[in-house]
Amino acid sequence: MNNTLLELKNISYKHKNNVILNKVNLKINSGEKIALLGKSGSGKTTLISVLNGTIKPTQGEIKLFNKSFEELDRKQKSKITTIWQDLRLIEDLSAEQNVNCGLLAENNFYFAFKNLLNISSFKKAHKYMKLCKLPNSVYDKKIRQLSGGQKQRVAIARSLIQGSNIILADEPFNNLDPKLITTIKNLLLENIDNNHTKKSTKTALVALHRLDFLNDFDKVIGIKDGKIFFNIKRNNLKKLHLDKIY
Amino acid sequence: MNKLKLNYTSLSFLPILVFIPLGYQLTNNIHFGGFKLFQEFLISAFNPKIDNEIFITVINRLNETILIGFFSWLVSIIFGAIFGIISSNIFFKIFNIPNFFCRIIRFFLTIIRSIHEVVWGILLMQIYGINFSIGIIAICIPYIAVNSKVFSEQLETIDYKSFESINQINASKFSSLLTIIWNPIINTFKNFGLYRLECSIRSTVILGLFGIGGIGTSIFLSFQTLNFRELWTYLWSLAILIILSGLIFKKIKFNSTNKILSIFFIAVFFITILFSFSYFLYFIFNNNFENFNSVFSLFKSSSDLGLFDFLKLVLETIILSLLSTGIAISLPPLVIGIFNNNTSEIFIKIFAFLLRLIPTPVILLILLTFNNPSLSLAALTLGLHNAGITSKLLFTNLKNQDRRNYIAMKSLGISKKTSWLLGLFSQQAKSYLAYCAYRSDIIIRETAIVGVIGSVGLGWQLKESLSSFAWQEVTIVLIAYSSIAVFGELINGKIKNSLT
Repeated sequence: MNNTLLELKNISYKHKNNVILNKVNLKINSGEKIALLGKSGSGKTTLISVLNGTIKPTQGEIKLFNKSFEELDRKQKSKITTIWQDLRLIEDLSAEQNVNCGLLAENNFYFAFKNLLNISSFKKAHKYMKLCKLPNSVYDKKIRQLSGGQKQRVAIARSLIQGSNIILADEPFNNLDPKLITTIKNLLLENIDNNHTKKSTKTALVALHRLDFLNDFDKVIGIKDGKIFFNIKRNNLKKLHLDKIY
Repeated sequence: MNKLKLNYTSLSFLPILVFIPLGYQLTNNIHFGGFKLFQEFLISAFNPKIDNEIFITVINRLNETILIGFFSWLVSIIFGAIFGIISSNIFFKIFNIPNFFCRIIRFFLTIIRSIHEVVWGILLMQIYGINFSIGIIAICIPYIAVNSKVFSEQLETIDYKSFESINQINASKFSSLLTIIWNPIINTFKNFGLYRLECSIRSTVILGLFGIGGIGTSIFLSFQTLNFRELWTYLWSLAILIILSGLIFKKIKFNSTNKILSIFFIAVFFITILFSFSYFLYFIFNNNFENFNSVFSLFKSSSDLGLFDFLKLVLETIILSLLSTGIAISLPPLVIGIFNNNTSEIFIKIFAFLLRLIPTPVILLILLTFNNPSLSLAALTLGLHNAGITSKLLFTNLKNQDRRNYIAMKSLGISKKTSWLLGLFSQQAKSYLAYCAYRSDIIIRETAIVGVIGSVGLGWQLKESLSSFAWQEVTIVLIAYSSIAVFGELINGKIKNSLT
């Protein structure tokens, strides 16, 4: 059975005559946990932006659920969630309002309005903020008042609340202490449900710099100068592979 | 020989050179017949007329001014926000509309705001006669366009990446738009709301001078009868109104987390929109537009305005704008720098407040008591009034400025004036010049008012053409005005961008 969720066919992306992605071919199957490795500026963030539809490639085709991006409706597109490296939170809104923004896709305009007026329910947002170990005291604080680690967890909570099947994360463990990294890693990769018991079959592609996290992934992709150098099972990863990309 | 090097600090002082031609013409135009009147005007400031009769008149006139000022502010700020949103890049990006339409809307708004509210007022009065609502409409037309620029400029500061992240959540377009723009809109309202209310009240007063009603009409009538004591009663009551409105506005802090207050403001927002539309329909159906038809027939009338005369008027308007801008830029830092002590600061602040308070036509009429009408006099008037506004900004910025450099320089034995110049002002010069670039847009529009009173430039021609119902000439003058204002806005925009 074909269980391919996301597929990139011959994807290239140019920006001001610079080739950022060069003929990238990639298949992501349902339930796979993939680590994306590469130096800074190798094209990891651009690849994630192409995968979530933020950047339109100059060449090539992207398929999600065997449909091209243009054919997908809003609900289908919302099956992908992204944790950005630069977080992209709305600075003037509170932490709980930012997390509630993750629910905008499944709610109407009136919900967005209530969220801004602070009169919507934050019950669900608080649940996810608690899962991300955010203290109660930061719930109603503006983003600019939070520490780097707290902002990081707000962005993760906003992403998780979307309940998407596919998680794209660009260095999501930045600014987190070791204990928190384990918690967040469990949330993102093992996707422990609300009762902390069951594992789901969510798919994740995570851009990383730290190699000691690789044990939690099924596959490893190495990217350099916009080209995929290897796409292998984690167990097959050798020093030779890493030497190629670093 | 060392080359002269210009920096932002020296550029702030350089325009003071406009006083050389200005001073020459003003000195030649002095007449001593009106000095006594001028003296009487100054003395009356400390001895305003206070009795029951004038008290009742002040209350009634202020009521009219508040009503016109407040309603025109409310309508123009709400519609300004709406037009600001639909003329912002973020709106066009969210809805995937070609940027071409954004440019069309912006151009249309630029044309609308290029014509001063006094010109709109005079035009509307010619068509519909003197009417309370004409005052509100005349202020609202350019103010909506001015406010829309303020709002859209604030929306351009939105981080495009936060828009991308909301967009990636795949929320509906309206939800994304609202979430992204909400805070910049609220912040713009908080930061510019009071200033725009003050502007609305000032514009109401100026329109009053042209007969629309309110305290402006009383000011003009008392000036015409040379009743200066009465004039100062009106001016001081206007000062109290502006100070009070500022205090009240500061008390009402729009806290977006206060649910009841938020709902109240939302209700005011929708009621204003509904009311404006219903009033617009009422206005349309209640006017027979007979005068309006006559306007069209009069467009066929021939124009006596020769090309040479017309070009001379255009040139006069441009020179008037340049000279006034020069005064508005250079006078405040020069005066504040020279008289750099606490006592002088209080006097400068009071003087600047009076310059902002007294409407430009009144300042011009006062100066006309001892000087013949000329381009220099009109420029001095407009320059002084705007220097009152730029000095307020300069004082506020200097107050918030980090003073460590200034203190360090003084401790080195450098004189107080030099320390102020290099340790305080030099750090503000760039942002001060950027604000002055924005101010010069307004100065160009305001040349119409002093032109009407001071027999200078296109403003004077506009008054003449309107008085003789020469609508073809009116059209030509308005097109010329718009072109100068649009061109000026383009240049100032470029200057402002290079400074920010």
